[in-house]
Amino acid sequence: MNMVMMVARRLLHAFLLILAVLVLNFLLIHLAPGDPADVIAGEMGGATEEMMADIRKTYGLDKPIYVQLGVYLGRALQGDLGQSFFYNAPVLDLVLGRAGATILLVTTALLFAIFVGTLLGVLASHKPKGIVSGLVTLVSVIGYSAPIFWTGLMLVILFAWVYPIFPISNMFDITKDTGFFGYILDVLHHLVLPALTLGIVYLAQYARLTRASMLEILSSDYIRTARAKGVSEIKVYRHHALRNAILPVVTIAGLQFGSVVSGAVLVETVFSWPGLGTLAFDSILARDYPTVLGILFFSSVLVILANLITDLVYRLVDPRIRTGG
Amino acid sequence: MKKFGIMVAAAAVIVAAGSSATVQAEEGKSGGTLVIGSTQKARHLNPAVQSGIATAVPGTQIFATPLRFDANWKPQPYLAESWSVSDDGKSITLNLRKNAKFHDGKPITSEDVAFSLQTVKDNHPFKSMFAPVTGVDTPDAHTAVINFDKPHPAAFLAMSSALLPIIPKHVYGDGQDAKTHPANSAPVGSGPFKFSEFKPGEYIILEKNPDYFIEDRPYLDKIIIKNYKDPTSLALAVDKGEVTMYPFLATTKDIARLKKSDHLVVTDKGYEAVGPVNWLEFNTTNQYLKDKRVRQAIAYAIDRNFIVNALHGGQSKAATGPIVPGSPFYAADAEKYELDLDKANALLDEAGFPRGDNDMRFKLKIDYIPNAAELQKGVAEYLKPQLKKVGIDVELRAAPDFPTWAKRVGGHDFDMSMDIVFNWGDPVIGVHRTYLCDNIKKGVIWSNTQSYCNKEVDALLAEAGSELDQSKRIALYNKAQEIIVDDAPITYINLLPYHTAYSKDVGNPPLTIWGTMAPMDEVFLK
Amino acid sequence: MAVIEKTDIVQAQSPAREALRAFRQSWAGVLGIIILLAVALFTYVGPFFYPVDPFEIVWAPLTAPWETSVAPLGTDYLGRDILAGLIHGGSATLFVGLAAGFITITIGILVGAFAGFFRGAVDEFLMRITEFFQVLPALLFAMVLVTLFTPTIYVVSFAIGIVSWPTTARLTRAEFFRIRSLEYVNAARSVGSKNGRIMWRVILPNALAPLIVSATLTIGIAILFEAGLSFLGLGDPNVFSWGLMIGAGREYILDAWWSVTFPGFMIFLTVLSFSLVGDGLNDAFNPKLRER
Repeated sequence: MNMVMMVARRLLHAFLLILAVLVLNFLLIHLAPGDPADVIAGEMGGATEEMMADIRKTYGLDKPIYVQLGVYLGRALQGDLGQSFFYNAPVLDLVLGRAGATILLVTTALLFAIFVGTLLGVLASHKPKGIVSGLVTLVSVIGYSAPIFWTGLMLVILFAWVYPIFPISNMFDITKDTGFFGYILDVLHHLVLPALTLGIVYLAQYARLTRASMLEILSSDYIRTARAKGVSEIKVYRHHALRNAILPVVTIAGLQFGSVVSGAVLVETVFSWPGLGTLAFDSILARDYPTVLGILFFSSVLVILANLITDLVYRLVDPRIRTGG
Repeated sequence: MKKFGIMVAAAAVIVAAGSSATVQAEEGKSGGTLVIGSTQKARHLNPAVQSGIATAVPGTQIFATPLRFDANWKPQPYLAESWSVSDDGKSITLNLRKNAKFHDGKPITSEDVAFSLQTVKDNHPFKSMFAPVTGVDTPDAHTAVINFDKPHPAAFLAMSSALLPIIPKHVYGDGQDAKTHPANSAPVGSGPFKFSEFKPGEYIILEKNPDYFIEDRPYLDKIIIKNYKDPTSLALAVDKGEVTMYPFLATTKDIARLKKSDHLVVTDKGYEAVGPVNWLEFNTTNQYLKDKRVRQAIAYAIDRNFIVNALHGGQSKAATGPIVPGSPFYAADAEKYELDLDKANALLDEAGFPRGDNDMRFKLKIDYIPNAAELQKGVAEYLKPQLKKVGIDVELRAAPDFPTWAKRVGGHDFDMSMDIVFNWGDPVIGVHRTYLCDNIKKGVIWSNTQSYCNKEVDALLAEAGSELDQSKRIALYNKAQEIIVDDAPITYINLLPYHTAYSKDVGNPPLTIWGTMAPMDEVFLK
Repeated sequence: MAVIEKTDIVQAQSPAREALRAFRQSWAGVLGIIILLAVALFTYVGPFFYPVDPFEIVWAPLTAPWETSVAPLGTDYLGRDILAGLIHGGSATLFVGLAAGFITITIGILVGAFAGFFRGAVDEFLMRITEFFQVLPALLFAMVLVTLFTPTIYVVSFAIGIVSWPTTARLTRAEFFRIRSLEYVNAARSVGSKNGRIMWRVILPNALAPLIVSATLTIGIAILFEAGLSFLGLGDPNVFSWGLMIGAGREYILDAWWSVTFPGFMIFLTVLSFSLVGDGLNDAFNPKLRER
């Protein structure tokens, strides 16, 4: 019962937060210098005064700001996020059409980072002064300090041009008519380099984090007792140390979701990955405010969801919280 | 006396009894998918309410126009199997094909032509295209009579390519605003290819229209237009074969590189009608630029050779006037403003702007269209050290995005700006707008943002615009160009080095004056 | 002096000296400082030895490095000297990194301090605001801010600062909460010290250790952030920065890898140095966790 109450409270909390995101961003965009009508006129190739007035009327830009906000919120609650200024299409359709690609990229990158990162961290903690440890430090330092788009560009040069193993850009090859499984394979083929680029940054962090956690745990009383009792090394690692070490990684990964989405914008731009990042970039440049709002809204929802899930997982998995208060 | 120009006479009556009035020679074969790569994103697919290349390329496949043009500026029958012009030149009668149908099966009639023309007139930003049209009569289902208030030779080019797509009245006549009509993203068209799928910003898929009004055409099964983020990835894609055709290729390094490929053809044909000019425009209300000598001085100070050869690797060509060399109206004898720093300095001295502290005379801000590096930013950045040589301190003002730039220049909030403007075939359509006194419209980009007004030029342009005799027109435009170039409200830098790179497997490549902005029903894959 | 194990009872001077000693023994920290000094020298002293204007066109476009002595590291797509760009680009990058870092730290500490010290309603309120900023993907929001207002380096610094402070705030809040209930704080309160004095004179100095480490990371992130914005073309176009060079060179990457690789490498070195310094400081303040 307690759990349900907590989830309910969190959901209400999340809803209010999303509302705040919508309202504040709407106000920010509409009160800042620049007139959306100019943008629309520019997109069409120029407009006279009468056409501008016409445009304002069509898009409801001639009403006072609080009326516009009210209309926007009312429609948003019904699932209508407005019409894109640039494309002749509903924002919701545009956003949903691109969301899948971004979620795929971000999830793959994170899973890659978590699994390979913890693995490397564990290996490094096994022999803290060994070669693997040194390598892990090196890779993590590079992955963390190099600009993500630079890493991406370097990977493109190496693995898509010099050694053309992977495609240079996009998510799949529209010209191939290969049926469902062929399509999946094609997408996966295109996914490798972008996911690798995005994942490296976080892999670096998780490897170091895991190594630090593992070292701390391995020298703890609990483990010393287990070793004294004769439990095998492998068991010590797997059952006791690892489980406790992976927790902080998962927690951090979930909380970093917002940052990963940000990183995805850059990666998507480098690889022309057709996700929310490229849509955001195009829309921001085109001053397509409804779409920009829609993307901010949607990505905030994603982040909140990720936080919620992480929190739940944490509470479920962390034995201390489960048994304690 | 009948006064018919060459263009009109050649097109007077041409029979097209159901067979294709081919503009190319090769014998094609059916089948295949043509993949076109583009860096421009289409907002939607209806060129009747939207100008620009991005909409024109798919739009001309989906929608048919009354006429089409070949590689020699000669009009050919298309939806109109024949046409005639009245003696006074004030009306054009179009005789439409009887077997033409929209993609939903309904017949294309003169009502649709009348409706389409009105829609374009009301919504398209190019006002001069159909401004003289007073109305369209539809005596029967396959005859449309367009009435003008004065002779309008530009009408022919305006009835081709993407400028007068015939849209279905039964779809667009429902009262919704044509500019935001939902059908714009999923159109019911009249051309060789049907709409199949549109993923905004990613790709457009068009399929063969099995009921196309020209028998045995189109050859291709499918056309896919694929979006690429930047010219580099697109050039790579065409090199690797991922893309069959890359039109509007303008980055000089890529042109050079693709020319070396043994499986591609790289040509600069197909852009004669587009007439793209890269130029530097002056705000003649600016305290320094209102003096003609200052403007001319700047023109003399620019080394177009350096720009063309060093900045553009020799791939572009110098531009010298408002009308491009590929057009029949080009004036070859106007002043070319060859590099002459001494003359530039002398003119500036004469205009009363001596050198002051740190050797500068005065300061000017220069704007440029963002995201067009080689053509805009590169030239602007080159102008800074170059104009320093004649004592003008140039400050670059970058705009973060296109709408900001458009707002500044359109709002006359600029000193001088780089710009790219297209001729669009007939000077009436794309050239007049820059120089006419009554087109000084604050707030509208690509109008007469220079605030340039010369009554003599206005008169010449007006006369040339309604003169049906081709040779007389040419003479009038020549005179106008000489005056404009001398007044120098704009100094012309280079022609955009538009090329098309396509696979050697493409037969009958689209190389008429409109290039890929024309129906590709003759194109096939070998 | 014997090494004192760091406990919760903190005094004024010796831990600083201890930290310094520990820092000097950390190879990461020392290496970081060396690299940082090298970068700073390159950026601030370099222009005197190599006064070439990065905007000036000096040679043929896209010349490879080591081909001509006029442009030792090659030229970009306009024919501008890459080396000049590297030398002059550093100051903008560093300025934005430091300015944004400063804004981030200031807002973060203020918010976190008040939240952690006063708790209750104040905490609730401040945490809601923090959450709001944490939920918006930083880069997206910064992009929107930068395009709404003109992109000068000040606007860019502000935009980066304003989306990055939540992490610092949370850290500060945690520290303040931890410390406020300790013995010496109660002692100060019983003597009658006002809240302000307690917060800034008593608690903050003792919370400084993790905050300083976090600050170095924050600056590194801000630098990457600026590079990202410039790469996307949203930075200040009138100022030369390394990110701008990468963004400009991106379209020519296959013909001129050097116009992208060199600036990227400079960013990498700079951020690396901050990370290493942060590492060193971490070791210095927490010798127990040192794993060398």
